[in-house]
Amino acid sequence: MIGGWAMKLRLCTGAALAVLISACPAGAQNVDWTSYTGDITGSRYKPLDQINAANFSKLEVAWRFKTDNIGNRPEYKLEGTPLQVGGVVYATAGSRRAVIALDAVTGELLWVHGEKEGARGAAAPRQLSGRGPAYWSDGKEARILYVTPGYQLIALDAKTGQRISSFGDHGAVDLKADSDQTIKPNLASGEIGWQSAPTVVGDKILVGSAFREGFTPTTADNNKGTARAYDVRTGRKIWEFHTIPRKGEFGYDTWLNGSAEHTGNTGVWTEMTADPDAGLVYLPVESPTSDFYGGTRPGNNLYGNSLVAVDINTGKVKWFYQFIHHEIWDYDMSSAPLLMDITVNGKPVKAVVEPSKMGFLYVFDRITGRPVWPIPEKKVPKGDVPGEWYAPTQPIPSRPAPYARTGVAESDLIDFTPDLHQKALAVTKNYKIGPIYTPPVVSKAGGPLATLGLGPANGGTNWPGGSFNPQNHTVYTYACNSCLLAMGLVPPPQGMSDLPYVIGQAGQQVVMINAAGADQGADAPLVKRAPARAGGGGRLTVDGLPLIKPPYGTISAINLDTGTIEWQVAHGETPDYVRNHPALKGMALPRTGQTGFNIGTLLTKDLVIAGDADVTTTPEHPRGAMLRAYDQKTGKEVGNVLMPAGQSGSPMTYMVGGKQYIIVAVSGGNYSGEYICYTLPNE
Amino acid sequence: MSNFRLALLLVVLSMTGAMAQTASIWDGVYSDAQADRGSSGFAGHCASCHGANLAGTGEAPALAGPHFLSDFDGLSVGDLFDRIRTTMPQDNPGSLTRDQLADILAFLLKANGLPSGAKELDRRSEYLKAIGFSASNPHP
Repeated sequence: MIGGWAMKLRLCTGAALAVLISACPAGAQNVDWTSYTGDITGSRYKPLDQINAANFSKLEVAWRFKTDNIGNRPEYKLEGTPLQVGGVVYATAGSRRAVIALDAVTGELLWVHGEKEGARGAAAPRQLSGRGPAYWSDGKEARILYVTPGYQLIALDAKTGQRISSFGDHGAVDLKADSDQTIKPNLASGEIGWQSAPTVVGDKILVGSAFREGFTPTTADNNKGTARAYDVRTGRKIWEFHTIPRKGEFGYDTWLNGSAEHTGNTGVWTEMTADPDAGLVYLPVESPTSDFYGGTRPGNNLYGNSLVAVDINTGKVKWFYQFIHHEIWDYDMSSAPLLMDITVNGKPVKAVVEPSKMGFLYVFDRITGRPVWPIPEKKVPKGDVPGEWYAPTQPIPSRPAPYARTGVAESDLIDFTPDLHQKALAVTKNYKIGPIYTPPVVSKAGGPLATLGLGPANGGTNWPGGSFNPQNHTVYTYACNSCLLAMGLVPPPQGMSDLPYVIGQAGQQVVMINAAGADQGADAPLVKRAPARAGGGGRLTVDGLPLIKPPYGTISAINLDTGTIEWQVAHGETPDYVRNHPALKGMALPRTGQTGFNIGTLLTKDLVIAGDADVTTTPEHPRGAMLRAYDQKTGKEVGNVLMPAGQSGSPMTYMVGGKQYIIVAVSGGNYSGEYICYTLPNE
Repeated sequence: MSNFRLALLLVVLSMTGAMAQTASIWDGVYSDAQADRGSSGFAGHCASCHGANLAGTGEAPALAGPHFLSDFDGLSVGDLFDRIRTTMPQDNPGSLTRDQLADILAFLLKANGLPSGAKELDRRSEYLKAIGFSASNPHP
């Protein structure tokens, strides 16, 4: 039995609104943030400028909301971006992944709604607070919709937080039961879930799917990815898209040996966007089982690692583009597709733009699917893992140029001093390095231990995705430029997996690698893990410094009328352990940026706003992480404000009662999840 | 403000303010015997996620090295102790005793190359908050 609970405080939304409206100066225009990315185009942009370059550093905390008690344990991985509509902030929060409604001006809790899901919540592949809810209104009533860790779509009254009884089964749709596939082994423990925010398009709501981490999957025969549209009024399923085609469907024959039948994953775990005028929904599809070994699924594996444009009313494919054939690097498709209207060679183009973990920005005509600039197929290295199937070519965009490192070369290694560079070369000689799409290797104690990749699993651009300004046709996106991954394959220990290879390193114990939030949610079981074996291997550092040279993380501005990178800056304070390293004493280091993949950008009229991932302590500021503002034209930092912990969820902005606010989620280290709302002082 | 009120304010401030840190992790604040006990505790309760070599796996961060030391730089050993005590092991927080946790913390300090001493780490958070956590040795 899945029980629901909700609490409503006496100060109701309506009362709060009435106060706000009366306090609102004449002529001030409220601006809402109605979906995860601010709108359904993925922009993360609001043309507000009350907070601007001249005053950003004067920002002060308007209110803060600690999420510790939303669930039975605190969370240190708060990734949400709240919504704000009509003076109320809505967000998912806590290890329970409850929805909270807060007064947008004061932060006062108006209501909270969570679901106790028992064994089903405990088995959820994607636990914790998730990325956020969705908002729908027809002008008469308003609803908040979200997906629980246990994979239920819940519809709530936006005023009260109570379930909408006429939606689905008393306000809930069981997304496991209401699927075209039979979830294995049963609905309670069957592996499928979702942590992203649904997208509302008209009277439809879009939901995707996600699975456990694919480094060490237990089986190649996993549940399959899916994306669905539901009627936001009734909870009735309108369509379901099979990311792995069924027999008779287009693309089935790209899975050789009938491997479409058994292969799973291939979810749509990140945000979806839509163009109602074109009648299209854009689905970014991830990799099939497993992330680094595909010998059980020979072939190109459609629609794995594809962008699929489907009809908004039927879910039928209008066009698709496969970014990676037969994926074996865990690149997925990580980012909300950006729906931009651009002008190329004097001609208007309705474009869809896809940032990626690969560091490429892919640009298409979003009506036809034709690349705006050529994306030629290029020959890529072939590997020698027994049983693996290799695609001979992969598509490489000719324009724009990559905005992050795409492979590992000796020239990417640390070079602060000749000695450090020599030590880095000594470390890498035990590994295989090469350009992008150099495949994983079977790990051998005598070498190679693994293939080193920059971007696999982490990015490049990961789940926060990019942002764009529709006025200047420019994409602004964060990228990790030093997220190094060792891709070595080893046979799994008995009982771990039915795949012949999982990720690991020769000479080291092979451990199950869990997905973000697995076993951390409020319903998670208290289970005993097997003790680890003694021993260990080398780390990918040189005297404690990163193996890869700076910049460790960047923000890029990429103009899509011309396809050029206009500027790129290192994002994030130089880490303490780099700045204070004895080997670098006396050296004047430019800001290095930080190694992180959870950074999303917010755009206002003239600013790019993003926080540091990690805390630092410098002569200029006490321990903390900076929320920074950059000039959109130049990339010059124009202001900053100190946060108590690193940015862990992407910022958003809104205008209520004549004042502009910015909310950002922070957490990490010893600092549990907190939404912090900033505004300018009253002067 | 009357003298009484001022005195009261000072008392309150001294009670609520951060405890003065009288030692640092560089001063030999744990014993080798304690770290040895913590080694087996780490292997049994922590290493399956953080790696037997403390290098981290998947989303579990490394617990040895400069990045780890930087993360807690400027805080206290008590802050790290309470972070572990309230949230770890991730799948069963609260299952280890304070003594077990202090031993594991001693092992972490040793694994990070911090010097041992004659005394053992205390099991009480309030006392551990008096030990400063600094990434670099304040008295090299």
